[in-house]
Amino acid sequence: MIEKGRISYLELALIMYATVVATAILYIPYVTSQHAKRDLWLSPIWGSLSGFLIVMIIVKLSKLYPGKTLIEYGELILGRTLGKIISFIYLFFLLHDTAIAFREYGEFIESAFLHKTPIIFVTGSIALSCAIAVHGGIETIGRCATIFLPIVLALYILIYVFLIPDLNVKNIFPIMQDGIMPSIKGSIAPHAWLSQFSLMSFLIPFLTNQQKVMKWGMFSVIASVLTMVFINLGNLLLFGGIISNLYFPVFEAARFISVGSFFEHIESMVIAFWVLGGFVQLSSFFYMLTLGTSQWLTLPSYKQFVLPIGFLIIIFSVWSIPSFEEMIQGMGTTMPFYFLTVQLLIPVLLLGVAVIRRKRSNSFLP
Amino acid sequence: MSCMIRPIKKTMTLMLLLCLTSIFLTGCWDRTEVNDLALILAAGIDKGKNKNIELSAQIYIPGGSQGGQQSGMSSGSSSGQSFVRSAEGETIADAMARLQEELTREVFWGQNEVLIIGEKLAKAGISDEIDFWMRHSEPRIRADVFVSKGRSKSVLGAKPELERDAAKQLRKIVKTHIGVKVTVKDLSQMLAGESAPAVLPWVEKLPPSLMDKKKEIPIINGAAIFKEGKMVGRLDDKETRGILWPRNEIKSGMITIAIDDENGYISLKLLRSHTELIPSIKNGQWSMHIKTNADLEVVQNTTKLNLFNSKVIKRSKQKVADEIEQRERLAFSEVQEKLNSDIFGFANEFQSKYPQIWKQKKDEWNEIFPQVAVSFETKVKIKRTGLATGKRQRGVEQ
Amino acid sequence: MKIGGILGVTVILVLIFLYQWPKLNKNGRKVKITFFLLMLLNWVLAVLLVIFPEMPGPGQLIDFIYKSFETFW
Repeated sequence: MIEKGRISYLELALIMYATVVATAILYIPYVTSQHAKRDLWLSPIWGSLSGFLIVMIIVKLSKLYPGKTLIEYGELILGRTLGKIISFIYLFFLLHDTAIAFREYGEFIESAFLHKTPIIFVTGSIALSCAIAVHGGIETIGRCATIFLPIVLALYILIYVFLIPDLNVKNIFPIMQDGIMPSIKGSIAPHAWLSQFSLMSFLIPFLTNQQKVMKWGMFSVIASVLTMVFINLGNLLLFGGIISNLYFPVFEAARFISVGSFFEHIESMVIAFWVLGGFVQLSSFFYMLTLGTSQWLTLPSYKQFVLPIGFLIIIFSVWSIPSFEEMIQGMGTTMPFYFLTVQLLIPVLLLGVAVIRRKRSNSFLP
Repeated sequence: MSCMIRPIKKTMTLMLLLCLTSIFLTGCWDRTEVNDLALILAAGIDKGKNKNIELSAQIYIPGGSQGGQQSGMSSGSSSGQSFVRSAEGETIADAMARLQEELTREVFWGQNEVLIIGEKLAKAGISDEIDFWMRHSEPRIRADVFVSKGRSKSVLGAKPELERDAAKQLRKIVKTHIGVKVTVKDLSQMLAGESAPAVLPWVEKLPPSLMDKKKEIPIINGAAIFKEGKMVGRLDDKETRGILWPRNEIKSGMITIAIDDENGYISLKLLRSHTELIPSIKNGQWSMHIKTNADLEVVQNTTKLNLFNSKVIKRSKQKVADEIEQRERLAFSEVQEKLNSDIFGFANEFQSKYPQIWKQKKDEWNEIFPQVAVSFETKVKIKRTGLATGKRQRGVEQ
Repeated sequence: MKIGGILGVTVILVLIFLYQWPKLNKNGRKVKITFFLLMLLNWVLAVLLVIFPEMPGPGQLIDFIYKSFETFW
């Protein structure tokens, strides 16, 4: 095996949590509120369906092929040629997804602080620091996750604790004014984000124990969904009807904090801590992509390819997304279908074929 | 030999890394030093010539030397800690660019906590100007918004006695919650509502005191009422107090009552109050029940009544409730009937309770709002009667 | 500007190459070839992007494929 490091259940859950939630809290409130309006906090709950389903499928697959990632067992299940093609589609998607994650990170930093800095320097410098973590392997990323994420989580909660005097509970009424449909329509973006749990297949082989992986995977999904609901609800209570006009409500909320007229203007600190979460997220994407590519090419090691692939990610982050507006637009329209077809359909297809194959070979053998 | 080189190599790498971080962490393109910034403390927008917007900014003068020279004197009231500049442009952003031309340092909005809108601009409509405050990433949406009588520029230039500048003065006044307090976020929320009603504190200048003819102090005197993003009228101080109750914004206040045929008055201080709006639609009749709970404390009693007497307490409670309701009625008659602006958030209340009916009648809200029957229910509790009892010096036994 | 951009990406790629190449020797030919091809792909894409910043990319491809889904929603 290329990777010799091992991670614990907690590290797996935390890495997946960071991978899904770090950018989700920035973009989910805006994208969901476009359809769901005041029901935006319900949308992640519908979205959790994708998360649960995908975790179930991925865990099932990893039980059938222990110690292998999606790229490896794809080939075993579908045969060499077809397997390589499907794996390539998945890898290409992963490259695209990673590029989008880097771009999301960059766009946020750009719109919030560094207006004049070319985005390529923002994404490039984080890619360089992520490359160090990726070079260190999965254990490094796992440690980063265990150290950073408690801080980041506390931050998410503290933002809204400080804002309690400004929250207005009346803003959530009327609940489901136009029925259940708007919140389901708004759930398309949470579906896309939560479908990224298919990336868990890159981490499961490196667990020290494998028995309880289902429980911890589900735990991670629930934590992600709860965070999204919490963030959406907090923003709704703070901003009410104007939430659908704000691109980064979480950032605006952080700017709004003012406790006792001296504890204010703390958004720089909030962003600094948020970047820790973003770092874990981008490192894990970066790692999975590098590992997947090396496995696809059946190379003996992935460490030599960290820098070239990092460069490729940056190129893609510029190339595949023409502008910020188009990216946001895409998140609510085409992107989720893209995410779901690749991340849900491919594992479902693999699992289906694998199960049929098992049954056949079982009926032939005995 | 090699054991000598290894540490050196390590140190070199470390040094290189440190150098690299110092390059990357500063963010070369957006590097700004504090002494390259012109901090805006308060901004005012007015209507300029031919549809232009005039932006006035109160800019902080960082004067370290000033404090050193007059070390013995109070530095708080020293004049010239800030100055006001203004420029005209087609939009606020345009005006800001013009303003920038006159300044040697880069305009920085991060500390701007007061926004004053001139009367003329308020009457012409403010929705477009608020967009700048919401969209631009520098100005804070927690900034307090005011409407000034006359031009906002003159308010900014005023030099109050107790506070450093006009901006600070206004912020301190709204903090006491005697008038309405509206931030950019609140304003934007109000303007997003049905028929875009809004209320903003009204700034007037206190006439120059006899002592010092030059000083004019801005104070809050009532409120400006907006409809469809345009100012349609204003309330005086008393009426403004009336709208604070249903808006649940009243935080402090003094109520003075006279009891029937007694000589003298009882003054009560408001401790806390909570108001609830209960909407109902019956047979096509829209009505709103305003339920207020208020806790008060007696601070002065110039009557002969003994406040330990439960009958007296009961009568004064009734009196206080009447007084509160009367204030509210006064405000409602002005706002609901004359100005027809839903600044109490009735629309939201009806929408949350009757979403289906609301959807059908939404477009008729302008006609419905003046017809909404308003009823009051006020519960008053007198928590304490102060530290002294009765009127000892008169020695009246009751 | 364009020349500068091309030079810039070339310099970065050469630096990556110089940093990684000595470490590749022990891993055999396959790794070397893959690495070289990857770097070449990087260079070609980067140069193309510098010269034609508006070059249609994978984003447009995805939009094209999934546009029809949008109407359902």
